Amino acid sequence: MPDFQACHPIAGSEGFYEKGYRMNDLGLFPYPRGRLQKADLDLAAELQSLVDKEIVEKRLELKEDYERLLKPAFVRLMVEMGLQKMFWPEDLGGEGHNEPGVAFTVMAALEQIACADVGLAFLAAHSFALQAALAGNGNLKREACERFAPLFCADGAPVIVSFLLPVFTEEESGATWRGKGLQVTARAAPAGWKLHGKCVRPTCSGADADLFGAWCAVEGEGQQAFILVPGDARGLARGPEFRKTGLAASRNADIDLAGVELAAAHCVFREEQEYRRLLSWYYLGLAACGVGALLASYRILKEWGDNRVIKATGNIFKENPLTGALMGEIAKEIAVDRLLAYDLAEMLAEPDTYGDAGCEGVFTAALIVVHHVLSSADYAIHRIMELMASAGYAKEWQLERYWRDVKTVQCYLGAYELAKHDFARWFYGARTL
Amino acid sequence: MRSIDDFSRPLEYLTPLGEQVGEIIREWVEKEVIPYRRDFDEDYLEHRLILPPFRKLLGEYGIQRILFPEDLGGWGLGHSDYLSVAAFRMFEEIARADSGMAVAFGVVFWPLVLICCEPHVNRRLCEEFAPMFTGTREPVFSCMAMTEPQGGSDIENVEILKGSTIRTTAVQDGDEWVINGHKLWPTNTGGVADLMAVVCTTDPGSRDVNDIAIIFVPCHLPGVTQSSAYEKAGMAADKNGDIWFENVRVPLWYRACGPGDDARFYGEVVSLGNMGSIAFMTGVMLNVYEKVREFTSRNTYRGLPLKENDAVAGVLADFAATIEALRILGYQCARMCDRHDLYGPRWSPEVMAKARAHRYFAADRTLEAMGRVMNLMESFGADREWDVEKHWRDVKMVQLWLGGKQLSQMEVARWFYECETL
Ligand SMILES: Cc1cc2nc3c(=O)[nH]c(=O)nc-3n(C[C@H](O)[C@H](O)[C@H](O)COP(=O)(O)OP(=O)(O)OC[C@H]3O[C@@H](n4cnc5c(N)ncnc54)[C@H](O)[C@@H]3O)c2cc1C
Repeated sequence: MPDFQACHPIAGSEGFYEKGYRMNDLGLFPYPRGRLQKADLDLAAELQSLVDKEIVEKRLELKEDYERLLKPAFVRLMVEMGLQKMFWPEDLGGEGHNEPGVAFTVMAALEQIACADVGLAFLAAHSFALQAALAGNGNLKREACERFAPLFCADGAPVIVSFLLPVFTEEESGATWRGKGLQVTARAAPAGWKLHGKCVRPTCSGADADLFGAWCAVEGEGQQAFILVPGDARGLARGPEFRKTGLAASRNADIDLAGVELAAAHCVFREEQEYRRLLSWYYLGLAACGVGALLASYRILKEWGDNRVIKATGNIFKENPLTGALMGEIAKEIAVDRLLAYDLAEMLAEPDTYGDAGCEGVFTAALIVVHHVLSSADYAIHRIMELMASAGYAKEWQLERYWRDVKTVQCYLGAYELAKHDFARWFYGARTL
Repeated sequence: MRSIDDFSRPLEYLTPLGEQVGEIIREWVEKEVIPYRRDFDEDYLEHRLILPPFRKLLGEYGIQRILFPEDLGGWGLGHSDYLSVAAFRMFEEIARADSGMAVAFGVVFWPLVLICCEPHVNRRLCEEFAPMFTGTREPVFSCMAMTEPQGGSDIENVEILKGSTIRTTAVQDGDEWVINGHKLWPTNTGGVADLMAVVCTTDPGSRDVNDIAIIFVPCHLPGVTQSSAYEKAGMAADKNGDIWFENVRVPLWYRACGPGDDARFYGEVVSLGNMGSIAFMTGVMLNVYEKVREFTSRNTYRGLPLKENDAVAGVLADFAATIEALRILGYQCARMCDRHDLYGPRWSPEVMAKARAHRYFAADRTLEAMGRVMNLMESFGADREWDVEKHWRDVKMVQLWLGGKQLSQMEVARWFYECETL
């Protein structure tokens, strides 16, 4: 990983092109280059060549093979490239790259990873969100860092992070957050906490995760607690991996927590603002996933548009007024989404200007951006598939994977209809929604 | 409790035969398809799970024979004026379980329309091929081979391109056609089909529609080679692959309707394909309605079933409204395809353009509505166990085939606005 301590913002006009960074065609879509540090650009370039080699080149042969393609690539990214050490304090073995400006690093890194594989970026987004919530400068939780940083910083295995967030449940009573049920209950026990949850749906990797961030209802208190549950904790049982639309890198399974006992220090935060901070960073990661998928889909469409001939006139596809216009619209979606996602990074990077990532205003903005980006990515990739007809639908052309992945991220993000209530609460002061 | 049967249908169009077969198919999908469909994706190459239910429906129940004249062992549906309305009901019922199966089923009859239906019954070809379908309890599949590597839409764009882009050639040699070329994507390829209708040109590059020939080719003939099935985003129950024709010889009279008429009645293939596509979509929507209804009744939000939340109910209402509208539209499209006396022939540019309009409108609405409810179900929307994601993956293809949306738009604009250069 580049040296973030010694870095400085690059001059506004010097983008990837000018500096010779391998941003190639993707640099066509504007982003606030001047806000990125040289180290961010170096990292993005390094990631791009890594994922090209480790994923893109092997994709046709290995498809979505978890063991042979995705897992080794995740190890390269998180362990060998050191992404899972990024935020943790240096004295605990981390990179200490935890200033708010790291939001740009996260964005630039995740869009490159998602460009190759959205599922891997989705997993990395979980790791970054947890790191930001525990080790972000300004809200660093020293005790939690001391306990958990070694897990991430000891060279060796990758740490797959998953969250157990509020969902729709079949129970009519029980603790809720903004209307959705908390899946795990925590009881204060003499040595710490005892956790229960039946058929709990994780946000990712239920079959593999090494650390679950459980958003718990504390029994008898009416309060909540965010408790980290190691994947090998006694009493944690994983159900079978279930099949889903996309995100092959996330092998998900429902889990049961039957009286899982954990030390008090596993509860890493309890304040409302801290949940929102975690989510704001998580949403930045998911927005980056959407942008990466769009950039990859753009490349596929570009190749199609350059080569396909329709109407037998010898006109290549992109020169047809109808299909060319739709291609233009798709480019517009990508450009706007990328700018928007980087705008969110800007908000997280500038707490003095916008407020802390955990304040309601930034949280709401993050939620708006991620919903907008994912729905626009869904829209644009649908249109690309239409332009490519059967080729778009065939696995061989790769597009359909981004289509499935983006839809899956959108589903895991949550219902848009209900997110709109968050928007209305913030902008109109609605109280009962 | 209200059910899918409470969505409106134009009752005055329905036919006893369609309804009776519809009921049989409903029972069949409940027993033979729905319990197994979640594993269809993994079965895309072998069809170990997919073939047995087809054996029952097509072979044992004998539905594969319906188009052929009664004296040839068929049910004579080709002579009726309710073929499309009856087909709509059947397609919808199958698609409710699996739209890939519905396509594979529909395409059994698609090329046969060219020889079994009034006013262009080709008695000799009916006699030739009827035994293949009526004399067995094994399923028999057909295929309509149009798409070529350089583009499917151009071949369908008969009005403008007049077959000039077709590269599969049929050359007369004595009393035989010799066929050479390469098709890809047809439904029921990948080794499934027993009989195909192949869109060829008798004079490559010609813009004379008399040179467009639709020729029947039994798949076992020497020179016919098929690839295995492609891997796709969905629709595993429909196998698609390449077919290569290398000096394949068939009698001259295997041509469906003859010079000029092949091109003309090809329009009927387009109209019926679009009509059927709407039925596939409404079938899918009906099952998604069932699933979403169950999900939003069982799961809670703010202490109440999800469906009792006004904002959620708004989405659910839109979904139901979409089914209402699409179903009426689809049945109307079917009716138009049936009643030449009222609407003109289904191979006319008018009915073709209208059927294309109905289909692409329905496809856009379906995908939009399904995307919304899938998202409403959060992670469960993307979960195979709830079936919605499978339908979402499958039904996308219904929007893409038959020349896709843009070609449809051009045909619609050409007809309604009398555009001349599109
Ligand atoms: C499950 C499945 C089943 C299928 N079944 C069959 C079958 O039974 N028989 C068969 O022959 N094929 C079948 N196909 C193939 C399918 O019909 C074609 O893929 C489709 O017609 C589009 O052709 P294409 O893929 O070659 O794309 P293209 O023809 O290259 O079209 C690509 C894009 O260009 C647009 N376009 C084309 N022409 C114009 C124009 N003039 N103006 C503006 N835009 C235009 C199209 O709308 C589309 O968006 C099937 C495919 C699948 C996946």
